[in-house]
Amino acid sequence: MAAALADDAQLIAACRRGEARAMEMLYHQYKRRVFGMAHRIVGASDSEEVAQEVFVRVFRGLAAFRGDSALSTWIYRLTVNAALSHLARRGRRHEVGDDDLTELPAPPATERDSALASRIEAALGRLPAGYRAILVLHDVEGLSHEECAAILDCRVGTCKSQLHKARARMRELLGDSLGDRGARAPRGTET
Amino acid sequence: MTCDDTRRRLTAYLDGDLDADGGTLVRVHLRGCAACRQVATEEAELRDELRALPVLDPPPALWAGVQARLAAAEEAAARRPWWRRALARWTPALPRFAAGGLVAAAAVTALWWRTHRAGEPGIGPGTGPGTGPEPVLEVIVHPTPEIKASPGPAPVARPASCEIPEAADATADLALDDARRSGCYAATAAALVAELEAPRAEWTADQRAAFDDQHAALRQAVAAAREGRPRHRAWRAVVRYLQGALARDEVVALASGGAP
Repeated sequence: MAAALADDAQLIAACRRGEARAMEMLYHQYKRRVFGMAHRIVGASDSEEVAQEVFVRVFRGLAAFRGDSALSTWIYRLTVNAALSHLARRGRRHEVGDDDLTELPAPPATERDSALASRIEAALGRLPAGYRAILVLHDVEGLSHEECAAILDCRVGTCKSQLHKARARMRELLGDSLGDRGARAPRGTET
Repeated sequence: MTCDDTRRRLTAYLDGDLDADGGTLVRVHLRGCAACRQVATEEAELRDELRALPVLDPPPALWAGVQARLAAAEEAAARRPWWRRALARWTPALPRFAAGGLVAAAAVTALWWRTHRAGEPGIGPGTGPGTGPEPVLEVIVHPTPEIKASPGPAPVARPASCEIPEAADATADLALDDARRSGCYAATAAALVAELEAPRAEWTADQRAAFDDQHAALRQAVAAAREGRPRHRAWRAVVRYLQGALARDEVVALASGGAP
């Protein structure tokens, strides 16, 4: 952790000096996560634009970065904020059309398969933006609740409760695509 | 544990966020409840599938796009006038400077207000509302050139007319403040005139005429002044003049070896 912080500090210092190699290194270090988050929050069509905007903000904002949080947390926060702002500007929630969801082939009742992954990606696109953000950060990117809370600027408890609701909404959207379909108990029979 | 309790805890249970006892309770319930077990299976599968989603590689042109936008922003910044560049450089720190500036401005304002108010008779520190009336009114001394060596006039007892009764409520009381202060000045001036009666008898006719003219002019200025600060200022001029006259007489008395 300390080594990572020292590395980050060196990288930040080099970027502030305008060293092209350091800037490229930082870009390559974070490009997949930044692009992946942007892609899954705003959708494929706008993901490149949002990712570009994030990196421009990162490089232009490094001079003012005070190190109150980890560099990664700061960059992911910029990413989520840029993505959510983009959605707000666009004026509508990004939606993968219902057609995308229903036209996918029904998954077989056996092992995980790529079709289920596609349906999950599609369902993710239909979630409200806030739920999408927490699912992408915690479940897709594997960040801890503490990191998610720092990125989303909320309490850890709020983060957990949002994740719970987001997963419940995802299960609703995916319907019978999940679980052991052979052993499924009828819904609504719970005590 | 009910199904609702279990489902509320499922996310935390599957993510390993429950303590040992909480985990055991959920586990026991899941063993006996097929419906909740199904929900847990679905959520676990969803979580695993989300974690297994492929890492997305950005298009190769992304870095070139970032560099192009950075270059464009740099060129735009270079074209801006120097003061806008300086402003942009300081903008991130503005909130902190603004907070500090506000505190400093509040402190300076408080100090100015206190100093300014303390310079007015009867309004200095310790004479504010609630501190009770002072037994003796300290007279402000502004010596004229001929009375620089004056030991200062004797304190004048606070006239009873200074004690204007307070209004029933705070707003009305504040509205009475100007009148109260003007009344206090008038009473002080009257007390000083009374003090001057005895020494006045010793003055020459010319001295008395000069005194009366100046006193009348100052009183007219009081009458002509607007209510509030201008009138208070005019009253202070009257009081200063009367104090000067009284002090001059005391100096004369001291110089001649007599009692003031």
